[in-house]
Amino acid sequence: MLLEIKNVTKIYKGKSKVKANDDISLAVNEGEVFGLLGPNGAGKTTLVNQIIGLTMPTSGTITISGMDVVAKPDYAREVCSFQAQVQAPIAGLSSMQAIELAGRIRGGKKADVHQRAMELIDKLELTEWKKTLGLNVSGGVRRLVAFSMAAVVPGRIVILDEPTNDVDPLRRRAIWQEVQALAKRGSAVLLVTHNILEAERVVDRLAIIDQGQVKGMGTPADLKESEGDDMRLELILEPKAAAPLLPDYLKKPLVVNRRILSDISPANVSTAITWARGLKENRIIEEFYLGPATLEDVYVQLVKNHENNGNHGKDA
Amino acid sequence: MAKWFRSYFLMLKWVFLSNRPWLTLNLAVQLGISVAFIYGIGYFYPQTTATIAKFLTTGSPTIVLLTVGLVVVPQVISSMRSEGTFDYVWSLPVPRMAHIAADATNMFGTMIPGILLSIILGKFHFGFNLQVSWLVVPAVLLIASCATFAGYSLAFAVPKPMMTQILTQLMIFFVMMFSPVMYPSSQLPGWLQGLHKVLPIQYMADLMRGTLTDLPVKLGLAFAVVGGWFVAGFACTYLLVRRRK
Repeated sequence: MLLEIKNVTKIYKGKSKVKANDDISLAVNEGEVFGLLGPNGAGKTTLVNQIIGLTMPTSGTITISGMDVVAKPDYAREVCSFQAQVQAPIAGLSSMQAIELAGRIRGGKKADVHQRAMELIDKLELTEWKKTLGLNVSGGVRRLVAFSMAAVVPGRIVILDEPTNDVDPLRRRAIWQEVQALAKRGSAVLLVTHNILEAERVVDRLAIIDQGQVKGMGTPADLKESEGDDMRLELILEPKAAAPLLPDYLKKPLVVNRRILSDISPANVSTAITWARGLKENRIIEEFYLGPATLEDVYVQLVKNHENNGNHGKDA
Repeated sequence: MAKWFRSYFLMLKWVFLSNRPWLTLNLAVQLGISVAFIYGIGYFYPQTTATIAKFLTTGSPTIVLLTVGLVVVPQVISSMRSEGTFDYVWSLPVPRMAHIAADATNMFGTMIPGILLSIILGKFHFGFNLQVSWLVVPAVLLIASCATFAGYSLAFAVPKPMMTQILTQLMIFFVMMFSPVMYPSSQLPGWLQGLHKVLPIQYMADLMRGTLTDLPVKLGLAFAVVGGWFVAGFACTYLLVRRRK
């Protein structure tokens, strides 16, 4: 394993003693895209900040190729390229200057860095803003430039913290293609995101983190399989409509704002469809969907189950 | 060491380019402060004797250096901390002190025109001859470094960036009004004179006076005290930037 995180716990100092990470263990291979999914404040950014030495774990170990990077954070920064959740400080730099400078800082040769920067500018369709200062570009373009700064001379581990925030759908697709290309070139990509639907298509494995703990880990297929052969019924309530009385065959029903999510066994599918159609005719629900469990369903179930247990924490 | 210098020059380029959009405004403010000090402070004195003129002319660049080090540096750093800039920059494979040194170099570079202008303006406005020693170069470098690293220490030591803003307001008030930079120490009450025997501010002013004029100054002592404070500020900054949350 290239990156190994074992029993990492982080408790922030101060009066509140927030436990941002609680006994987290995971490992990432070379050439693998590993997703870290979780709600705001789940502890994802705290975890990546510990990998690159911005934050110190309270306990536990983090190794890269067997090297203890808690003791040697400089080594982590040599082998990890990082796109932070915050915007990169590139106000006075043009997109091209920022990407080339990041590549040179990461030890790339001038000609190689220039060629690779041009390639990224082209792939992410940034040509229009190539010479525009960061000060004068949108948040989405700055995010694309920051992604390119991490990808221009990629480390053995590439850590991307919410790389597609503010980015338009077409360029988001280009980012995901580039993420997969980075993994093909041998880098391990650690991807922090809320975007479950897009992550599902790009990650090889993932961990769902909530309240600082790993709630589920595996390939998207493994996690979906853990839900068994049950189907997933989703009802969208009409605005201002009260939730209907739910029949007993709906398993683990969950009401999230106007959505009602539930599992049903294959034997009850036709009964459920008739019931849902009735609700629609009576204008109690706007729409309903029935299908196999998605990763988002697994995510919502894992995260919401935890919240329903009343175990709320603070942002981390 | 080669990696350190490579990182330093690349970060210097980054810092310079990052500040370029505000460079003209920044230089204009620095030059404005210099002009204001030479012409404005003179109005406090009904008659400007040769000694007063020398204090004002050498005090003005000292105030510029102290203002940048103790006010501008902490405010810029606290703003960068609030924006999360260090979370990005310090994730790069760059020695943190190379980044700080690049930032300090850039700060110092923007101060030079203001310093030169205040000395030249003072000389012509008050009509006296400067007695420039070659020691003025290390003196200015030492004052700038001491003030700047004190500023970095303050900025990184204070837990909440907002507190830095308040502290810098107090510090500049103290430097301008209650420090023997534009006037001799003998005009202060005894307890303040005692305090200034420990603080570096008076000795910074002495370094400028001793290397630009014929005013009697213990230059060796001034170099030693300011040097000591520089080492302390540098060490504090070094420890603080290596600290992990």
